[in-house]
Amino acid sequence: MAKITYIARDGETLVLDVERGSTVMRGAVDNALQGIIGDCGGACSCATCHVYVDPQWYDKVGEIGATEEILLEEVCDPQPNSRLGCQITITDDLDGLVVRLPEKQV
Amino acid sequence: MSTSAATGGDVVYWDPYRPDLGKDPYPTFKRLREEAPLYYNAEYDFYAVSRFADVEACLGNHETFISGRSDIMEFMREDMEVPKGMFIWEDPPEHTAYRAVVMRVFTPKRMNALEGMIRDYCVRCLDPIAGNDRIDFIADLGGQLPGGVIGMLLGIPDEDRDAVRDQVEASLRTEEGKPMELEQANLTGENYEEYIDWRMKTPSDDLMTELLNTEFKDATGTVRKLTKEEVLIFVMLLAGAGNETTSKLIGWMGKILGEHPDQRREIAADRSLVPAAIEEILRFEPPGPSVARYVAKDVEVLGQVVPAGSVMLNLIASANRDESRFTDPELFNIHRRDPPHMTFGRGIHSCLGMALARVEGRVVMEEILKRFPDWTVDTDNAQLSSSSSTRGWDTMPVFVG
Repeated sequence: MAKITYIARDGETLVLDVERGSTVMRGAVDNALQGIIGDCGGACSCATCHVYVDPQWYDKVGEIGATEEILLEEVCDPQPNSRLGCQITITDDLDGLVVRLPEKQV
Repeated sequence: MSTSAATGGDVVYWDPYRPDLGKDPYPTFKRLREEAPLYYNAEYDFYAVSRFADVEACLGNHETFISGRSDIMEFMREDMEVPKGMFIWEDPPEHTAYRAVVMRVFTPKRMNALEGMIRDYCVRCLDPIAGNDRIDFIADLGGQLPGGVIGMLLGIPDEDRDAVRDQVEASLRTEEGKPMELEQANLTGENYEEYIDWRMKTPSDDLMTELLNTEFKDATGTVRKLTKEEVLIFVMLLAGAGNETTSKLIGWMGKILGEHPDQRREIAADRSLVPAAIEEILRFEPPGPSVARYVAKDVEVLGQVVPAGSVMLNLIASANRDESRFTDPELFNIHRRDPPHMTFGRGIHSCLGMALARVEGRVVMEEILKRFPDWTVDTDNAQLSSSSSTRGWDTMPVFVG
């Protein structure tokens, strides 16, 4: 388990225990967190699990894949710390990870 | 077999062809989830999963549950040859290579950028009927807007869009009570050939031109342009996919909001509710209620072995009403705080056009409610059609006011 903090645009903060091997997207969707959709279920196809990774954590969440890189140019309001939540796999090292949600996914 | 789990000798039965079951499939779906979550239909020889988690797992496992023999169960029976570029009916690596070509075109950002154009088109459909006391959500809007939008994107001339829609509808329609015939599906894209030839000579800023010029890495690793045949298939696929399902979304919008006046008035008074209302309509009545996969190797599902060569039907409309995921799933409730529905599928084949469908749905709902805040469905004259892959209204007439 890792504690992941999701901060919505309006500041509403939710701390979730997410299982190792799960993802930032999956943890959110399984807990009915509003603001992350994840239509494709983690196939890196839909670009509806966009999050901003807290700068302090950005280097720890793994590399951006080729497909993810393309999709990240096409999300709503992309920023340098944008990632797709389905591509961030939860490990013990990510205990305490903080992500912020975009204004909208679609 | 799990069908024997039914109580009192009343064994649950379901197939996608019976009009009496298609009219309101939800009581049957509920029984399937409870009594036969892995259902086998001996008459048509297919399996079906109906619970959210099982449908999600199946669609997410593209190595076992493949798409290379199409996603329509009738077509899997035939030894059909899927044309190259028909990527919804291909598996990796071909699917991956082809989908990558159009993946960046249909993203949320690009589709949201089309909102103004979509709104203009919608206004052009609605303004002429603004004073009418009867409108039809299909004839006046659902039958026009989605085809018009995808036509504009692709660069298909306005006057030919109706013909395109009619051809797609004909290819997906089943005679009542009967499975689809493979011969009815035109898989060559020849109807679009003249546009392609024309666009090759007179390039524009449309998607067709982009498809003709884009370089991509094909499944063998070769960097090349799409062949003319592949472009034809792409255009046919996108024109078809962007038309039928969104039209059905608009029809369901008329039906569901017509039957829930309180929520309709709430949305009309507070437009910020529109996106959530679209999601709830998509959950409540998905235009594509089921999607098939071919079982490529023996696989255990819910403790039973489903043998290689089987057809597995994924009941998305049932998954969307699974009690373990949704609170009071049989209720239409735009305020629900549940996790997302599965209407756009899951996995590598999840709907490419989902962002476009959502923008169109949003714009349509806003523009309709601006002009027609109140209506009642003309139930006697609303016609439903249902097949193994789509379900929705051919006509959705309503009384305004």
